[in-house]
Amino acid sequence: MQRQFANLLTNVARQVRSQERAFSVTTQRWEIFKVQSPEEFENKVKKSQTPVVVDFFATWCNPCKMLTPRIESIVGEQAGSIKLAKVDIDEHSELALDYDVAAVPVLVIMQNGKEVQRMVGLQDEDKIRAWVATAVKNAKQ
Amino acid sequence: MLLSKLCRKSSGAASCKLLVRSTSGVSKPKYDYDLVVLGGGSGGLACAKEAVECGARVLCFDYVKPTPVGTTWGIGGTCVNVGCIPKKLMHQACLLGEAVHEAVAYGWNVNAQNIKPDWRKLIKSVQNHIKSVNWVTRVDLRDKKVEYVNSMGRFVDAHTIDYRTKQGERRQLTAEHVVVAVGGRPRYPDIPGATEFGITSDDIFSYEREPGRTLVVGAGYVGLECACFLKGLGYEPTVMVRSIVLRGFDRQMAELLAAMMTERGIRFLDTTIPTAVERQRNGTLLVRHHNTTTQADGGDVFDTVLWAIGRKGLIDDLNLAAAGVATQNDKVVVDHTEATSVPHIYAVGDIVHGRPELTPVAILSGRLLARRLFAGSQQLMDYTDVATTVFTPLEYACVGMSEELAIESRGAENIEVFHGYYKPTEFFIPQKSVRHCYLKAVAEVDGDQKILGLHYMGPVAGEVIQGFAAALKSGLTVKTLLNTVGIHPTTAEEFTRLSITKRSGRDPTPASCCS
Repeated sequence: MQRQFANLLTNVARQVRSQERAFSVTTQRWEIFKVQSPEEFENKVKKSQTPVVVDFFATWCNPCKMLTPRIESIVGEQAGSIKLAKVDIDEHSELALDYDVAAVPVLVIMQNGKEVQRMVGLQDEDKIRAWVATAVKNAKQ
Repeated sequence: MLLSKLCRKSSGAASCKLLVRSTSGVSKPKYDYDLVVLGGGSGGLACAKEAVECGARVLCFDYVKPTPVGTTWGIGGTCVNVGCIPKKLMHQACLLGEAVHEAVAYGWNVNAQNIKPDWRKLIKSVQNHIKSVNWVTRVDLRDKKVEYVNSMGRFVDAHTIDYRTKQGERRQLTAEHVVVAVGGRPRYPDIPGATEFGITSDDIFSYEREPGRTLVVGAGYVGLECACFLKGLGYEPTVMVRSIVLRGFDRQMAELLAAMMTERGIRFLDTTIPTAVERQRNGTLLVRHHNTTTQADGGDVFDTVLWAIGRKGLIDDLNLAAAGVATQNDKVVVDHTEATSVPHIYAVGDIVHGRPELTPVAILSGRLLARRLFAGSQQLMDYTDVATTVFTPLEYACVGMSEELAIESRGAENIEVFHGYYKPTEFFIPQKSVRHCYLKAVAEVDGDQKILGLHYMGPVAGEVIQGFAAALKSGLTVKTLLNTVGIHPTTAEEFTRLSITKRSGRDPTPASCCS
């Protein structure tokens, strides 16, 4: 996903330079990211104004591999009203343990620095979509 | 007053008693922890978790020094990461390869010509499983409130452990009791090229290249098991044997196992030792060797060299001298209570001198030790009659005495050996070799004939022998065994059908089953 963004930005930059057409880069491109440090989690998840879905995953977990593209596309559909933060539990074990991650994958919805809801295990795309939509609706209230 | 929690039962064994620790008149020195465990493997973790159940405050250190080629792994010790677990999975992969071919005879429309193993896919699956176990172990430690530090703990004095944090700062902590459970690692031979070009069991289970033609140096169970799964996965292993195969096991069974491997096309270089390993221009490895019987020198070319010549205990990094702990041959010496030469320092698992190097032994001894330390238990570990299995394609499992040990300790005239070859029902259709399907019972000659040892070579040997191990511990006699009705058709029932003794000289090869 990040490579697609990089390619998109490169293309956009090239277009800007060649002035082929008008464009706009909106901040919603940064709604999906992989957490690199506990500080980043603190700043971009806990202190986020918008709700964030945290995807706790492991590289050795096959259901996680199936879930991540699903949740990415669902969050993308929400066009910025909810963000997605991906956490590799081996890279950030303490963080994952702090959030009581036992089995993976786990999706945790964070709002105003607190856990609102979680979904454990791979689910159908429709179920995840409905779950995320509800969270977005509740956040707006 | 300190109240220990009433602990939950662990695996059906006796639970900790409710304990009230009263204050004594003299104030005792205060330690940071009741128990510090050095080593997060089978023994260390079992001891740590049991101790917490009994109300102790516990911290566990675990650290893996990377291998010469850079392999490293997570928490859980040898068994989880580079031992029992991946070994069994590779063994299973090998058995499945055989089964797929046998399926043709059973009517499955399998295109047997095109069945090829994918080494990298297998390794990935095995490693994924191991990493999931690493994670579950971490979660379990946290749930059970065992503090875990991923660092090498060393003794400063008998009650003080020193370590470096991930950030690099040196820290110390004190412990009332310490359990050394650091285990062992494979040895490298002292010959040129050994560490630069050879790998060990530490590396093979995550080896990203295909092993190709592999030289396995060593004929203990590690070497033999590795050679067998490499063969099963389509590679051409050669086993270099210094003197005998499976030292310490029943001689007859060891030789039968070697014969089974030879029948499967595994080449043995008997009475041969390696003298040097050199890398060739094309990347292959030339291994120079010397045959100690013929005195001939030779050299063979391989893609991979796997050292399986034994394991050494990891005493070097512990600074045991600072604590006053006695060692022998790179292992820690303990008494029947697992106590070292220093009363409050104990050891369990592979690091212990003179005990079976097996995960279940480490686990049970670790748990019993924790109960003795923190729950007032008196129960000691019983190291006798420990069942074990060699996971080669036809497996070998045994419990109790080998035939030669029985003869040596009781005298040949006081021993009766019942034996027989057998033919598993499932082997007929695919015409699988039954030549090495064999079992024997070593018993006393008098009275009801107490059974001293059971030996079985055949499919799922570990599953077959486990129940008999409990029977042996309960005092199984030949009389009871032969009056036990067998389950039919199984291979385990052959134990109930034993009738031919070695002494009689009769042919132990069966004509057919059910007679």
